[in-house]
Amino acid sequence: MSDTTLTNGWEYQDKPREMQSELLEINMGPQHPATHGVLRLLIKTDGEIVHTVTPYLGYLHRCAEKIAEGCDWRQWMVYTDRFDYLAPMNMNFGYAVAVENMLDVTVPERAEYIRVICAELQRIASHLIAIGTFGLDMGAWTPLLYCFREREEILNIFERLSGGRMLYNYFDIGGVRFDTYDGFEDEVLHMVNVMEQKLDEYNTLLSYNKIFIERLADVAVIDTATCYEYGCTGPVLRGSGTPFDCRKDDPYSIYDRFEFDVPYGMGEQGSVGDCWDRYMVRVRECFESCRIIRQAVADLPGGDIMSPDLKKLVKVPQGSLYTRTESSKGEIGFHIIADGGSKPFRNKVRSPSYSNLHVIEKVGPGMMVSDLVATIGSLDIVLGEIDR
Amino acid sequence: MEATAIHALLVEKLGDAALEYVDALEKGTIVAPDKIAEAATILRDDPALHFEQLMCLSGVDWDGYDDSGKGKSVQILGYDELGKPEQSDRVGEGDLGVFYACYSHRHGHKYSLFTRVPRDVASVPTVSGVWPTAAWHEREAWDLVGISFKGHPDLRRILLEDGWEGHPLRKDYVMPSQWQGVPLEGQDYAKNPFSEDDVVLPERPVEEG
Repeated sequence: MSDTTLTNGWEYQDKPREMQSELLEINMGPQHPATHGVLRLLIKTDGEIVHTVTPYLGYLHRCAEKIAEGCDWRQWMVYTDRFDYLAPMNMNFGYAVAVENMLDVTVPERAEYIRVICAELQRIASHLIAIGTFGLDMGAWTPLLYCFREREEILNIFERLSGGRMLYNYFDIGGVRFDTYDGFEDEVLHMVNVMEQKLDEYNTLLSYNKIFIERLADVAVIDTATCYEYGCTGPVLRGSGTPFDCRKDDPYSIYDRFEFDVPYGMGEQGSVGDCWDRYMVRVRECFESCRIIRQAVADLPGGDIMSPDLKKLVKVPQGSLYTRTESSKGEIGFHIIADGGSKPFRNKVRSPSYSNLHVIEKVGPGMMVSDLVATIGSLDIVLGEIDR
Repeated sequence: MEATAIHALLVEKLGDAALEYVDALEKGTIVAPDKIAEAATILRDDPALHFEQLMCLSGVDWDGYDDSGKGKSVQILGYDELGKPEQSDRVGEGDLGVFYACYSHRHGHKYSLFTRVPRDVASVPTVSGVWPTAAWHEREAWDLVGISFKGHPDLRRILLEDGWEGHPLRKDYVMPSQWQGVPLEGQDYAKNPFSEDDVVLPERPVEEG
């Protein structure tokens, strides 16, 4: 037995072998809770450091744009529900506004107010999921359960309003499908009052939690120029310090009548545009949505809920138009090409999550693998909308 | 900046390549396909325009589009009333088009670019070097409409499987009966029971409130 061999038979080396490293390819997803849906990220890592990120999409592709060729204008509304299944009211709103812009139809006042109330309630519901699951990604279980508890109240209102709990198909071209029920206003106001107290609770529990802040501050900083380049909109753009909101800067429907602020990232806990800023923009937007809902409920007029001069089989005049509205994730755009008939010639959807996810190719390289999870959570993507 | 002024600026810089001003709901310029990247660069870099964001890029198959405004495209294409092609061997004819919607955060104005290419040479220069967001939108246009983008860094399918044949949003696309051994039996679309003369009435009585 030589003196370089140990008793267990292993050879003893005087000096360590030359270290070699190579990139490791890891598939994150498509079945992975932190990817928020069926998203596959092919990550090349150098140890714990991400070298490149390549998203692979299409696991939830349902050919919505192809189906549009066979539907008429009203029938396709039900497919818009399924884009962002966490915010179907906002998707309905975008498509309804897009078609109405081409029809030049006047939506009754009452329908407009009901639409705004629904869209803002939905924005809160969608942000609650974003807040809760983001906490979950970061290892905080409790906020998720709290958020789902409050979201349930909103879903109950929607269920009584439209009959659906998740997918509503509530908006229609020219108005909304059903009028409100007895006690709708009281329920909504109660919900808003509760919500504002609960949001303070979430802030204490999660937002200003030291562990949460340390985990997210200065992680995945996205600046405004990158947002513009990659087409990021919504809370991602606002988190980077730019107070841009379609409701304010490119108003549609009746949003110019309400008083509300546009929250934006200010780098309170780290640098402007980090994960915490994007998260906090969503919390603050919930407060602003509450403000809008209060004003809308106070002003809710009586009258029709559906434009009376619109036929059931809608014919859209020839033309092409891109219309954008602000959903909870960002700018949802519908590019519509009509030939004057009862069926769409081309309906193209520009979904906010699609562009928001693209930026991961730019900001992903160089960060830790665990920070990549935080980044995806802070972008708040929904795969139904990306894959369509 | 007014849309007409933007068009005038494009004409000044591009000359004959800025083909036509579109004065419809969507204001924009039709640009010759091989000059589209230059037009995009002008839109982004000119200090008076400063379109730093590309909102939307969509590929369109103009095959069978009814220019008369009577909405007869479905008949021209030979679709049955459920939206399926009646003939599976029809060869598409029309041009393919790309639409670019741009927005300037600095000036708060919007503008659009349009371009059309013949079906047999469906290739347009990429604008992903001007707006990186276009990279994914162009991949989608390639995937679904079959427009290839010259100089694109990574032109792969994005929504469909890599081995998929054909481009589904082409108007002459026929769905295959099977893919890799998996039968693809499409469901028929539901027929709309309404006629054009029906008027919408609220389902419930309107409450005053």
